Amino acid sequence: MNYTFQFGVALESLPALLRAGILTVELSFFAFWGGALIGLAGAAAKTFGGPVVSRLAQAYVVFFTNTPALLQIYLLYYGLPEVGIILPSFTCVLLGLTLNAGAYLTEIQRAGFLSVRLTEIEAAETLGMSLWQQIRFVIVPHIAKTIYPPLANMFLILVLGSSMAAVFSVDELTGTAINISTETYRWLEMFTLVAGVYIILTFVASIMLAVVGRKFFRVKARMF
Amino acid sequence: MHHLKITNLSSAYGKNVVLTDVSLTVDKGQVISLVGPSGSGKSTLLRVLVGLTPPTGGTVEIQGELINYNSKSSIKLSRDRMAIVFQQYNLFQNMDVMGNVTIAPIKIKKRDRKEVEAEAEDLLERVGLADKLTAYPDQLSGGQQQRVAIARALALQPDLLLLDEVTSALDPELVTEVLDTIRRLASDGMTMIIVSHEMGFVREISDQVVMMDEGRIIERGLPAEIFDKPTTDRAREFFGKILRH
Ligand SMILES: Nc1ncnc2c1ncn2[C@@H]1O[C@H](COP(=O)(O)OP(=O)(O)OP(=O)(O)O)[C@@H](O)[C@H]1O
Ligand SMILES: [Mg+2]
Repeated sequence: MNYTFQFGVALESLPALLRAGILTVELSFFAFWGGALIGLAGAAAKTFGGPVVSRLAQAYVVFFTNTPALLQIYLLYYGLPEVGIILPSFTCVLLGLTLNAGAYLTEIQRAGFLSVRLTEIEAAETLGMSLWQQIRFVIVPHIAKTIYPPLANMFLILVLGSSMAAVFSVDELTGTAINISTETYRWLEMFTLVAGVYIILTFVASIMLAVVGRKFFRVKARMF
Repeated sequence: MHHLKITNLSSAYGKNVVLTDVSLTVDKGQVISLVGPSGSGKSTLLRVLVGLTPPTGGTVEIQGELINYNSKSSIKLSRDRMAIVFQQYNLFQNMDVMGNVTIAPIKIKKRDRKEVEAEAEDLLERVGLADKLTAYPDQLSGGQQQRVAIARALALQPDLLLLDEVTSALDPELVTEVLDTIRRLASDGMTMIIVSHEMGFVREISDQVVMMDEGRIIERGLPAEIFDKPTTDRAREFFGKILRH
C-alpha cells in the first residue's frame, strides 16, 4: 500500500462534521419516534383491528420490510411531486425513514402486545385495578421491558441508515463527507474520519440506551 | 348471617354449561375445600365469585350484601372483600416482591406507602420470605412466587381468600412450604375456599368438603364423611382413583 494518508484537511473539517452529526441524530431521532407512533398504531391494528384493518396494516409491513429503504425514499422523492406534494429533501428522507422504521416497529410492538400474559391481567383485575390502572401499572411496563432491546437496536440501525440521506443531498454526516471530499480529494481520510464519528455516535447511544434500559426496565443489555 | 352465601349459581362458556344450580354457604373462619374431577367446574366457580366469568343465573351474597355481577362498581366492592390466588403464578413480572405486594393497597386503595410497606414486610415474614423483598419474580422458585401471590392477596385484607390449586404447578418438594403457609392462615382464622388435589391436606384442613361433578355439587360434608363413606357412585369412583395413588 503506497497511499499516504494526509489527515490535515479532514481534521480541519471536524466542526462541519459535528454540525452534520447533529443532523444525523435529528434524522434518526425523529424517524425513530415517528416510526414508534406508526408502529403503535400498526400493532394495534394488527392485534385488535378487524379482518380489513389488520390486513391493511399487514400489507404496509410487508411492503416496507421487503423493499430497500433507499428505494422507498426514491419513490417518495419522485412520487410525491407527481401528486402535487413538494417537500424539502430532508423532510422527504425523514418521511421515508419514518415509514420504513414504522413497519419494523409495528412488528416489534406487536410482539410486545402478544407477550402480555392474560393471567397477569386477571390478577390485576381481581386486585381491583381499573382498566386504566392495568394498562399503566402492568401492561405498559411489561411491554416496555419486553421490547426495549429490539427498540434500542432499531434506533442504532436508524443512525446508520440515515446515511441514505446523502443520496438526496442532505448534509448529514455521509453527505458532508462526500461534499468535502469532492473539493479536497481526500476521500479516504474523510471517510475514515466519518467512520470514526459514526462509531463514537453509536457507542455513546448504546451506552445511554443500556443505562436507561438497566435503570428503568431491568433489561440486562450488553454494551457491544 | 353467613359470611358467603351462594344460591343456585349457574354459568356457561357460550353454549357449554359449566355450572348448574350451585348453592353453598361459608361461615366466618371456615375452610371449605372443593374437590372433583378435571373439568367439573371448580375453577369456574371461583372465577364467577370474583367476577372474572359472568354468571348466567343465581345470586352471591357476601356478608349479607348481594353482588351485582352486571355492575362494575358492585364487582369492585366485592373485590375489596375477596382475593384469589391462581394455580399459575401470576405475579407482575416488572415489579419486585415488595412492589407486587404493595401495589394494590398503595395505588388502588390510596393508602400511605410507609404503613403499607410495614404491613407487607410482616406479611412476607409470615409466608417466610422476609429476605426476598427486592427479588423479582424470575429470581424466585415456583413455591416462593406462589407465597408472594398469597401475601399479595392478603395485603388487601380480604374477608375471604380463594385458592385455586395453588400447589399443582409446583415440584413436590416445594408443595410443603405453600401448604404450611395455608395451614397458618387457617389457624389464624382466615375464611377460605380451597381447590386442591392434595387429598391428605384437604382432609386435615377442611371444615367441609364439597365435591363437584359436571358443574354440580354432588356431595358435601365433613372430610371424614366424604372420604370414608361417600354416598354417590361418582364420588366413590373419584376417591377410589385418587386415594389409590
Ligand atoms: N375459557 C374457557 N372457555 C371455554 N370453556 C372453558 C373455559 N374455561 C373452562 N372451560 C370449560 O369449563 C369446564 C369447567 O372448567 P373448570 O376449569 O372450571 O374445571 P376445573 O374443575 O377447575 O378443572 P381442573 O381440575 O382441570 O382445573 C370445562 O369443561 C372446561 O372445558
Ligand atoms: Mg381448575
